[in-house]
Amino acid sequence: MIGLLSTGYGFWNPIVWLVVIAAALIVSFIILKAGRKDYSKDTEQVKPYLSGNDEPSASDTHVRGGNLYYGFTRALKGYYDKLIPIHSGILNDYIAWFLIGLVIIFVVVILI
Amino acid sequence: MNEILAAVIGVVVLTICSIVVGLFLAGLDRVVVARMQARVGPRLRQPFIDIAKLFRKENIVPKNAVPILFNLMPVLALAASIAVLLYLPFGSIAPVLGAAGDMILVLYLLIIPSLCLVIGGFASGSPYATVGAQREMVSMIAYELPLAAVVILVAWRLMASGTAEPFSLVTLMDTNIWSVCGPLGIIAAVLLLILFIGIIPGELSKVPFDAPEAETELAGGILAEYSGRNLGMFTLAQAVKSVAIVAFGVAILLPWNLSPVFGLTGAAAIAVDLIFFLVKVSVVMLVSVTLVRTMMARFRITQVVKVYWFILGGIALAALILFAIDAFAAGVI
Repeated sequence: MIGLLSTGYGFWNPIVWLVVIAAALIVSFIILKAGRKDYSKDTEQVKPYLSGNDEPSASDTHVRGGNLYYGFTRALKGYYDKLIPIHSGILNDYIAWFLIGLVIIFVVVILI
Repeated sequence: MNEILAAVIGVVVLTICSIVVGLFLAGLDRVVVARMQARVGPRLRQPFIDIAKLFRKENIVPKNAVPILFNLMPVLALAASIAVLLYLPFGSIAPVLGAAGDMILVLYLLIIPSLCLVIGGFASGSPYATVGAQREMVSMIAYELPLAAVVILVAWRLMASGTAEPFSLVTLMDTNIWSVCGPLGIIAAVLLLILFIGIIPGELSKVPFDAPEAETELAGGILAEYSGRNLGMFTLAQAVKSVAIVAFGVAILLPWNLSPVFGLTGAAAIAVDLIFFLVKVSVVMLVSVTLVRTMMARFRITQVVKVYWFILGGIALAALILFAIDAFAAGVI
């Protein structure tokens, strides 16, 4: 088959995948076109729904990169509490950690 | 050329079938939940009526939204959900594109509708939707670990038993995981089935893993600003994805057909196996979504991560150890 990528275990064909996605997009657009398109612009209905409260400023509701993974940082708090202080910002520390990691990998590889 | 023609025809046929089956399953879910709560509940065809109504409603685009992303994501979500179906077997009907993609591809394709929800949520410009999108992203990363574990463990055990192309869904139609295992492997396969039943509500953002939508605290979360045909498209994408994820689970872990039992061949065998497949999909849906959402309350997003990574991750680890011992005992590793 033209374009088939195979690793010996897994395989996929990107060309066929592109055709599938293109055909599925066309069908989806046809379904979308069956619906009503219009709405009343410049009215109250285009305001974000906030249960009747005033809309806060964009900076107050902005989700920062640090907040994005709140579920993980909170769930793995014990792990992060130990990990964050190790991030000293000093390059020598990072190189030392890298070397320690490398030594551990070599020891494991040699033992196996 | 044959694959491309099959892809185009397959998309049209499977779109119609999966929307009908997906909305039927949504209706069945609502009826059974209502009965379990001693309510009359809606009619079985209510989801069809809801979709028709949504497509007749105004399609509001919020003033803070990024219109192109806001409008494109529901379409892409539906298209990606449809694309998954072409790589899945249905009863004894082989995947339309079984030779053009394997389980890993299905795994990646299943992520796209969730990513569309995340992008659509952020593009809404609404605080509720933004929080919902953030939760959806965390939830998505959380359930990917056990889902990937199920796929890789099944393929690994098949490979250990000497099966060629263990990631292929066509291979799974001929050689199922239960037939290559010893007693410990069977226990591991049961654990994987439990794992998959736990993954389905997360994939579909259903209780107890519905933190991204959370009607009572986020007013619908990601979908808070969606209305009209855009909301209808996301609802259709959800219906099709529900068929896809359950069909994927059935193909991996419940692959049996009835035709060999009754000695059927030809069209009769295909029809009987397809009906049996739909029954299996309905039962898995009822157990993993309906029963669970009737019995449980919503997890906080931190609990979602803990459940998927530690509890279900632990079950996956137990299954891995059992599979390894089983394969070692059989002398195949």
